[in-house]
Amino acid sequence: MQDAAGTAGARVNPEVDSLVRAAQRGDQDAFEQLVRAYDQSVLRLAMNLLRSPDDARDVYQEAFLRVYRNLHSFRFDCSFHTWLYRIVTNICLDQLRKRKVRKEEPAVVETSEGAIDRTEGFEEESAAANPERMTWNRQLGQRIEDALEELTPRERMVFELRHYQGLRLRNIGEILGTSEEAAKNCFFRATQKMRTELGDLV
Amino acid sequence: MTCDAVRKLIPLYYYGELTPEEEDQAEAHVHECGPCARQMEGARALAAALDRRRTESPASLLADCRADLSAALDGAAREPWWKLWLGEAGATLAGFTRWRQPLGAVALIAVGFFAARIIPAGAGSGVSTASLAPSEGVFVNVRSAQPDNTGRVRIAYDETRRREVFGTIDDPVIQKLVLAGVHEENDPGVRVESVGLLKDRAGSGEVRDALMNALLHDTNPGVRLQALEGLKPLAAETPVRNALSQALEFDDNDAVRMQAVDLLTLRHDEAMVGVLQNLVQKEDNSYVRSKCTKALKEMNASVGTF
Repeated sequence: MQDAAGTAGARVNPEVDSLVRAAQRGDQDAFEQLVRAYDQSVLRLAMNLLRSPDDARDVYQEAFLRVYRNLHSFRFDCSFHTWLYRIVTNICLDQLRKRKVRKEEPAVVETSEGAIDRTEGFEEESAAANPERMTWNRQLGQRIEDALEELTPRERMVFELRHYQGLRLRNIGEILGTSEEAAKNCFFRATQKMRTELGDLV
Repeated sequence: MTCDAVRKLIPLYYYGELTPEEEDQAEAHVHECGPCARQMEGARALAAALDRRRTESPASLLADCRADLSAALDGAAREPWWKLWLGEAGATLAGFTRWRQPLGAVALIAVGFFAARIIPAGAGSGVSTASLAPSEGVFVNVRSAQPDNTGRVRIAYDETRRREVFGTIDDPVIQKLVLAGVHEENDPGVRVESVGLLKDRAGSGEVRDALMNALLHDTNPGVRLQALEGLKPLAAETPVRNALSQALEFDDNDAVRMQAVDLLTLRHDEAMVGVLQNLVQKEDNSYVRSKCTKALKEMNASVGTF
């Protein structure tokens, strides 16, 4: 199955629904298929938001264990995707709020596989081919990270879900337990802050 | 439409979040207004710049996550938690029931109208009559069944009567009954539900003790996990931390240990260094090990014991 979260979004998906029902009846294979249908999106969301493989791994584990423990109480009042994302976004928001308090995120992140530079993803061209361009990309990358840091956890989440995960604002409102209008306002504030922070670069 | 109004719509326009009417109005305005057209271009440039942001994950991250989860679920014997843990307790219960059976003929049956029909009314002095016979909602435990010399049968039984009471969990009577439910040895489902009801009331000493007791002594992992949920707000208290470290050391269920390590490492606590170092050495579950290692590193403590 393709990554259901990436393509199906909030839509009701009969295939997913039947997997959920089977998993609720105790079918382990169905549960595993559900995990695999969504776990890449969940991990991408957690990595994008937290920029730390260890933290993303914690989010993944906690999210799917919560799903496992609580699947019996899922009543199809919303799509499974929305229900899953409520769990995942809650866990990520907790993490982001803790970080806001700590305010301690270095540009170089230590992981079990060595240090990862948070800005290295911007290096599209190789250093040998275009070193000046690479330096500029690196600067822009860091500026973008700083601008994202300026957002409140909720603004950051709404922006992430809209821009990087491609969800509709109405669905984002549903996931975050708020109205479409409130999600729109939040998204607008986030884009305004980003424009203010990055105005000279874009 | 004013420039101010249009600028509020521009980010939403770019992401296709406007109604068709709003979209038409914005387009018409931008077509005529240079500054707003530049704002629109700015929104596009911002989105393009953000699109180039990439988060690189270690190649093995997804596989590691799946392995962690699989290990945790293996710990739960790959059964739905509810069924599994009821099943486990059911196995324990089978032995327990055998042990409980008295030597005489005993049957624990829901009698209901059936018993009322077989016991004739006014059957004789000293013998149960229909008016005394069990009715629906009464469970009987037959202690003896003997024929007497008149051709009748003499039955001795204990009755358990089902009652229903309603009230909020703050009602002391209800809370007492729920606490009794925590100890309902015959039915793990009732214990799961009872502990679940108490989990927001852990502030009371009696409830906290019941939750710690359930965490450390209940045979059913589902009950233990519910107890952990309830103890979450008290994870900073020393007796709770001691219970958590005991669960980490002795609980054979991966999901319980994983939740316990999450709670125990929420805050840095020098007193737990020894417990965590010990776990890094002997723990099989990679998630628990990695949490312990991470917590030790954050406390600048050595990961191993030398």
